[in-house]
Order: sequence, then C-alpha cells, then structure tokens
Amino acid sequence: MTQYLVSVLTEGAVFGILALGLNVIWGWSGDFDLAYYGYVALGAYMTLVLTIGRHPAPERYILGLQLPYPVAVVLAVASAMALALVIGLIALRHLRGIYFSIVTLGAVYVLYTLAGQFVPLFNGYQGLSGLVNPMADALGIDFSSYQYFFLGFAIAVFLLVYLFLSRVSSSRFGLALRSLREDERAAAAFGRDIYRLKLKAYVLGAAIGGLGGALFAAYLSAFNTSAWAPLETIVLYAAILVGGRGNIRGVVLGVFIVFVLIEESTRFLPEIPGHPNIVLALRPVIIGAALILFLRFRPQGLLPERRYVDPIAQKVPRGSTP
Amino acid sequence: MTTATIESPAALDVRGLSKHFGGVRAVDDCSFIAPKGKVTGLIGPNGAGKSTAIDLISGFKLPDAGTVLFGGTPLQGLPPHRISRLGLIRTFQTPREWRGLTVLENVVLARWDEERESFWRGVLGLRQAQHEATRAELAAAREILEEFGLSALRNERAGNLSGGQKRLVEFARIRMAQPNLVILDEPMGGVNPVLGERMAVAIEGFIATGTTVMVVEHNLPFIERVTDHVVVMSQGSVIANGPFGSLRSNPAVIDAYLGEMPTYEQPGA
Repeated sequence: MTQYLVSVLTEGAVFGILALGLNVIWGWSGDFDLAYYGYVALGAYMTLVLTIGRHPAPERYILGLQLPYPVAVVLAVASAMALALVIGLIALRHLRGIYFSIVTLGAVYVLYTLAGQFVPLFNGYQGLSGLVNPMADALGIDFSSYQYFFLGFAIAVFLLVYLFLSRVSSSRFGLALRSLREDERAAAAFGRDIYRLKLKAYVLGAAIGGLGGALFAAYLSAFNTSAWAPLETIVLYAAILVGGRGNIRGVVLGVFIVFVLIEESTRFLPEIPGHPNIVLALRPVIIGAALILFLRFRPQGLLPERRYVDPIAQKVPRGSTP
Repeated sequence: MTTATIESPAALDVRGLSKHFGGVRAVDDCSFIAPKGKVTGLIGPNGAGKSTAIDLISGFKLPDAGTVLFGGTPLQGLPPHRISRLGLIRTFQTPREWRGLTVLENVVLARWDEERESFWRGVLGLRQAQHEATRAELAAAREILEEFGLSALRNERAGNLSGGQKRLVEFARIRMAQPNLVILDEPMGGVNPVLGERMAVAIEGFIATGTTVMVVEHNLPFIERVTDHVVVMSQGSVIANGPFGSLRSNPAVIDAYLGEMPTYEQPGA
C-alpha cells in the first residue's frame, strides 16, 4: 500500500508539473496547443539518450552519452524550448484559435511518427530504457529507499515550478499574457507585441513540459511511443478545465481530481467477469464526461482565476459629520 | 529611426492613402490632416472607407500606397504595437475590453512599459522596486477611474459591465496611456445622450492633457458638439473638409449623405 501511495504521489507531482506548463500556454496566453505532449516526449527522450550510454545492436539512437542526470535534465529542457521556438515561430505568426490547434496537432503527429518510424533517432517504437535510479550512486542512496528519495525530488521540483509560476502569474508579464487571451487586438492597440509575448509564453510552457518529461523518464526509467499518444494532451486539458483555467492552485486541484481520483479510483472498481478491460476503458469515459459537464455547468472550473481586488478605501460613515 | 522625419505641423498627415480589396477601392487616394491639439472629425456615409482608413493608419491593415506621417514620423509599414508605442492609440467600433480582467486592471494595463513587462525583470527582478511601481500605477489608475465615475466598479470584471460603461472604461484606458493622438472609432455607438455629454467632456479632457483627438462618428450632433474641424469621406476619398458649419451647405457633402444632412438642419432635430 505504501509503495502504491508513493507511486501515485510521484506520478501526481509529474503530472502537476505537466499541467502547470500547459496552463502557461492555454490558461494564460490562451492558445489551445495540441503539440504539448511533443515537448514532454522530447524532454523524456533527450534525458534518456543523454544518460543511458550506448546499448548494443539492434538498439539504435542518437548521442548515447552518460551525463549526470541533472545535466541531462537541463539539456532536455533546452531541447524542448528549441523545438517549441521552431513550432511557435511558424504556428503563432498568423494563426489563432482552431487554426493554431490544427497546425500544432499536425506538428505533434509528425514528431510522433518520426520518433516511431525513424529508428536511428530514438530506437523507433521500441523506445529507450535503462535509466535506473538516477543520482542514487552519487548520493549514496540504496535501492530500497530510492523511491522515497525520488518522490521527494519530484515534489521539490514541482514546488519550485509552482513558486516560479506564482511569481509569473502575479507579474506584469503574466497580466500582459492574459490581456492577449482576453482580446489581442486591444492588446496590440495598447502597445503589446502579440507575437513575441505569445512566443515567450509558448517556449516557457514547453520548457516546463520538457522538465516534466525529464522527470517522467526517470520515474519510468524508460520511454517509448506508447507513453505519449498525442491525445494525452486532452487529459491535461481536462485537469486544467476542471480545476480552473489560469489559476495555478486550480490546476493543481484539477490534476488531483483527474489523475488521482478518477485515474486511480477506477482501479478499485470490481472486475466484471469476461470483460477484463472494461475498467481501463471506463477511465477516458469518466474523464470525457467530466470535461463535458464542466464545460456546460462550470466552465471557469472549481477554483476560477482570481483577479486583483483593490481594497475598499476607508469611507467616513454617513451622518458622522456634525 | 532610419527614415528622416518630415516637417509637418499636423499631429497626423495622411497623403494619398489607398487600399483595394479585389476590385473594391475601399480607400482611394485619401489625404487629410489632423491639426495638433484639436479635435478632428471623420465622417461619411456607410462604406465611405473611414474604418479602413483607421486600420491603415494604425497598422492593422497594410496600405497599397500612400504615406502616413505622425508628428513627422512615417508610420506606413509599421506593426500596430510599434505605432501604439510611438503614441498613436486607436479604439474600435465595439468596445474591446479585456473581459476577464477587472476594470482597474484594464486601466493599469493601458500603459505599456517595456521595463515592467519584461519577463526577466518582471519575474525575477527585485520585489521592492516592483511594488513601488505597482503602487504608483494603481494610484494613477484609481484617480482616472474616480474622474470617470467608475471607482465603484473597479474590482468588477470588465466583461460584466454595460455597453456604456465599457465605453467609459475605454476612455479611462486612453487617459491612462496618455497618447499624443487618439483615434476614436464610433465612440457613440449604443450610447445614450447623457453619457454622450460625458464623453464630450472627456474629449475636452484629452485635449487639455495634450492628446490630439480624431473621432469617427455617424452621430452628427456629437460631431458638431466636439470637433474643431471635420473631414468628409465618400467612396474612399476625401470630398470636403473644414469646420462642421461650413459643410452643411456643401453640395458634395449633401449629395454623399443623400439628403441626410438637411434633415439634421431642421430646427429641433
């Protein structure tokens, strides 16, 4: 049971990071990005090719270095940012709304197919493996307590991301991003360089996605195409929507509800004899239903985005003057 | 600037501006000036090309030909945000408030500040300096909201306001931004007469604080009330200009308005 709880919490922290990154792009800047899982996957793949070294044939992949895990994480984040910059430069130039989403969906399918079919890149559909307990040797952590260490590490990274984004959220940069979400023509009329601002948000979101991917790779110790069907992004959107788009506290709550409550509680449903996969199939149904119900009845989510409330100035009570 | 500024006494000097959409000459060799420190009206029947002209001047559309000089600086070819940063701000036919942000935030954000909005300085910079800047901005915005009678609504999300209140928020934003020139695109659309008078007073306030005003409007009594000088457009070109009174008897103007002008001249109208 403890083991199970540790794994749920670790996954929760990783998905929390992923959802927080997507919230920068969709929650604040307002772009419905479907390429997001591509940045997560690139972060995971890059972490692996930078740490696992060379494996014997028939495994084929680029780099095959044996860098320390933290260095690999930094490089993985940088790769995700570089990819987001390229896709963002093209997709954000003139496209908005559904047109932007279609282009990003196209981009992520190109990446997905490339990762699967072009074997010399990341070993094709077989994927990569062999990142076992990173940092354990360097820090002298034994095998039995490693999962607790990694849980602590994941939570620490999650908290850092959270604190960083809470500063972004309350900064003028964060407010300017929201003005793009609300009305970008007005934002341009009042001096905002829409393209640059949106691009910054896009690359920032992708950096956090890449970071989440780097943690994900260490948690799974492996990564392949089955770990990142591009439509996984929709589950992250469901979490943000349920919790409260634009509100980082809400996003964390949404991750708890969608990933922990729905994903994990369905595990405890009784099996129906003769239908071994029905419980697994039920999860997307419940998540989809939650998405529809929230869009219809509470589109602002459980914790709506909070705005600055200017304190009411002290007024002299009526009738107090002689 | 790489391009030399050209001597011009006007706040805005538009020369030979043209824009064609397929076979339609939306704006065709349009030239006019908006004198500094004055209120210039831009009128004309529907389809005269007024809105397209504003889009061309403010960079939201690219002209096919012509020059736009703003305080002597050529604007044609610049993107909207660059033109805005030079001090030319325009509004739109429908109020474009930032719906999900509060009225106070709408006003604060109207003042663009590169330093404040930079990612690194804004997010990782010293908190103390930011708090001070924020306090100053909030104080300025509160004062403007007080002036426009919007203080009680400052924490309300702008999207929840009535049409007339949204127009006032737009005016408050312009006051906060303090541009050299503001182009108001149909500010009277859907506004009642009482609020109209308030807007006329606000326009006088813009002039008093150093903002030259250009106003596009179908409401001719309002144009007569607020403008010093009127430019009349029809079929993409300027057909007349001068003080409003002088245009009433101008046959080209009467012709363009298909008799709408004389109706207005009747007493009590």
